[in-house]
Amino acid sequence: MTERIRILREYQWARRHHAFRQDLQVDPAPYRAADMPDYARTARRLSLALSLERPVLLPGELIACTRTVPALPGIYGDEEWARITAAHFIHERGNVCNLSPDYASVIAGGLLALRAQLTDSPYHAAMRESIDAVLDLARRYREAALAAGDEALAQVLARVPAHGARTLREALQSLRILHFAMWCEGDYHNTLGRLDQTLMPYLRRDLDAGTLTQDEAFELIEAFFLACNRDSDLYPGMQQGDNGQSVVLGGMTPDGADGYNLLSEMCLRASADLRLIDPKINLRVSRETPLSVYELGTQLTKLGLGFPQYENDDVAISGLMRLGYEERDARNYAMAACWEFIIPGRGMDIPNIGALSFAGVVDAAVRAGLRTASSVEDLLQDVERRIFADVRATLAGLKDLYVIPSPYMSLFFEGCLESQRDISLGCRYNNYGLHGTGLAPAADMLAAVQRTVFEEGLSPEELLRAMDDNFQGEGELRHRLQFDCPKMGNDDDAADGYAVRLLDMFSRAVEGLRNERGGCVRAGTGSAMFYIRHAQALGATADGREAGVPLPANYAPSLNVRLDGPVSLIRSFTKPDLVRAMNGGPLTIEFSDTVFKNDEAIEKVAQLVRLFVLRGGHQIQLNTVNRDQLLDAQRHPELHRNLIVRVWGWSGYFVELDKCYQDHIIRRVNLNV
Amino acid sequence: MEQGTVFDIKEFAVYDGPGVRTTVFMKGCPLRCQWCHNPEGLSPRPQLMVSTASCTHCGACRAACPHPDAPCDACGACISHCPLGLRRLAGKRWTSEALAARLLRDRDLYAQSGGGVTFSGGEPLMQWPFVRETLARLPGVHTAVETSGYASDAVFEEAMRAFSLVMLDVKLTDPERHRHFTGVDNAPILRHARMLAAGDTPFILRVPLIPGVNDCESHLAAVAELARGAARLVRVELLPYHQTAGAKYEMAGMAYRPEFDTAQPVQTHLDVFERAGVPVRVL
Repeated sequence: MTERIRILREYQWARRHHAFRQDLQVDPAPYRAADMPDYARTARRLSLALSLERPVLLPGELIACTRTVPALPGIYGDEEWARITAAHFIHERGNVCNLSPDYASVIAGGLLALRAQLTDSPYHAAMRESIDAVLDLARRYREAALAAGDEALAQVLARVPAHGARTLREALQSLRILHFAMWCEGDYHNTLGRLDQTLMPYLRRDLDAGTLTQDEAFELIEAFFLACNRDSDLYPGMQQGDNGQSVVLGGMTPDGADGYNLLSEMCLRASADLRLIDPKINLRVSRETPLSVYELGTQLTKLGLGFPQYENDDVAISGLMRLGYEERDARNYAMAACWEFIIPGRGMDIPNIGALSFAGVVDAAVRAGLRTASSVEDLLQDVERRIFADVRATLAGLKDLYVIPSPYMSLFFEGCLESQRDISLGCRYNNYGLHGTGLAPAADMLAAVQRTVFEEGLSPEELLRAMDDNFQGEGELRHRLQFDCPKMGNDDDAADGYAVRLLDMFSRAVEGLRNERGGCVRAGTGSAMFYIRHAQALGATADGREAGVPLPANYAPSLNVRLDGPVSLIRSFTKPDLVRAMNGGPLTIEFSDTVFKNDEAIEKVAQLVRLFVLRGGHQIQLNTVNRDQLLDAQRHPELHRNLIVRVWGWSGYFVELDKCYQDHIIRRVNLNV
Repeated sequence: MEQGTVFDIKEFAVYDGPGVRTTVFMKGCPLRCQWCHNPEGLSPRPQLMVSTASCTHCGACRAACPHPDAPCDACGACISHCPLGLRRLAGKRWTSEALAARLLRDRDLYAQSGGGVTFSGGEPLMQWPFVRETLARLPGVHTAVETSGYASDAVFEEAMRAFSLVMLDVKLTDPERHRHFTGVDNAPILRHARMLAAGDTPFILRVPLIPGVNDCESHLAAVAELARGAARLVRVELLPYHQTAGAKYEMAGMAYRPEFDTAQPVQTHLDVFERAGVPVRVL
């Protein structure tokens, strides 16, 4: 880290730039006129938001743009919004979210080239208003740079984002402004996509021309990463830290080449150097990936950043093609805010539109059918029926989707400008994704029933009564269920086999389904925040889990099991056919920080990740945690402001989380090695 | 078929040899080192382990005990009665066939990472016929042993031939102090160190560095002398004493009473090894 970056990092860390934030009560009337169409309102609101921005140059700034007007009211008043929500299905907050914009084209071509294609139609007028607002912001930043005597920055801003970038610095500055304006438009979970692919042409040109050294390039990357952390507290998602600013590094290019490049490596090193929560790093790997790349990733894991999250190209690309994604698009996948696979510039998928509770359906089948079942197979038939019914009921509830239009965001998506069709209405891919929570506890429940009832002769009545009583006075039975039955995570087919079948049922249940936009439905192994909600809906369960104990986050073993170790864990969790779980959801392993007491462990942990990839796992993510430190952070948050943890698909600051999420992290199984 | 008593099988052992390894902890040890951090590895018999820290003293275990007035014979009847799951048995009987099958499950990972299997303990050579038979069932797998070296010459010689790597502890070179702190004579151990130095099995000499006991220049110089010039020496490894060494004694129903000051930082004297031209690493 250069002195310039160190100073800027400290400045931001002390939140000194918050002093520039304006406390404005913005009157929404100008963009809420009754006769204005929704897309025109969005454009007017964006235009107003950007015009209120006051250019701010931080000390030593290389990549400018800082948010000073934290929030504007939405484009609808309460009454209007109530009418819309009564008539439509609204996903989360209603705005466009979780997309991977095609930054590469806009950075290369510039906004003026897009503007030149616009007609006088009302929709194009909204696009033009948005572009002009962004260009005006850049103009004002340029003037501020000139006034401050920063010729270099002023020159960059004279060029971008109006025109195509020519250098790495211009490309990064362009990206910063383009991305910044998305937040101002009201879009959220705005990802950064395949940053190394987007930027590599510029870096190569600079290096070849001899106008930039690798050290200077590294400083620019770090400056950009710092900028990503500047306003991210304003973009909380579902929880503070869940802002969706993910990048994807490495992986196959659309042409089938290996995309891992010098920039991929620089980004990994910059992230390790800065130790901040943004951008959140995804690393695409495959069976061809050399160990040294895993080792670089493991260096980040060691720091406790909760990333990288690894995606396996061998599984993901064929899995996406199976769902109907074109080969070039499948190879070009990026990541949504957490782990969902999305397609840059062409996808308007909603990968987190609902969730199946594996634990919930299995529990319901056990409660309804155990008395009359002659084997677990009887229960499984009912489970299958319930999964199919659950998926169909979820889909039936997703009618008349309304998404608030985003003409500016639409500039980054194929065909929106030409067809004058807003991205909120769809794009090339309009698929829905369903999470699948609690697969491991569900498999454990079936394994426990098989073992105790059908092999050892426990009476169904006794088990169900004990569950109803939350195992009060049934400590020995609960002990048997919890500790003496097979568990997913210990490489025991007696439990893992059920997980294989449950995931197979889920993927068959969504097969052939079409949503109202013509897209398919994708099954996944993720949880998002559903691991809390779905657990609250359950009483005590047949795996010996007492009521109130949470479900594991994502694709992970139950919280109350004894595990043999990480190798068995990986073997268990690579048994299901994950090619058919392409909504994603990573296997999450929590390591005690004592694992990393010396550098030898880096190579060995890297080998473990590689084992998962070689065995056909889809996604994996390792956490390094120190339980005592987490407990202390709950008691003394003021001493642990920079403690970073992985929550469900993203990393955030521990002390900023709601308590239920903090407690869950403390409870997760922690592998001491 | 031989049977042996194992008190733990640890997957993904990071510090027990090259690559990713699985370590088998054999139960029973002839030494009684004051700093031993695996007290459940000392007795050759299965024994009950209780995590006392979270115990609420509800009494369910006592109510379930079939012989409350006799010493615990590790029958295990109380285990499933603990509502918090705080009790377990350390020490399970394995046949060599079953243990080899368990270890071969991770053959792909051993090959991928240049790892293998490590036998530790306790003292693995105390159950040599069982270990030997298990090794014979692991063809092509890199095998290592962590041993005190306290065994007969015949067993040690066989072990040198059977393992791919031998990690031998040299705790104290002074015979009297060795007897005092470990309970046994160090003559066979030093003899075996010399056998390793003269032999053709790759080996590591390990020193658990105990504050005020053996972290002195004279002992480490003697270790460097044993290692110097040995053709198959990989390196010397120093393992500084860790404050958590006593953590499991209460679980095993034993008392931890070291005579040394556990809080005192250890000296590594790395220069001694540098001067002797012996590669050294601190773990």
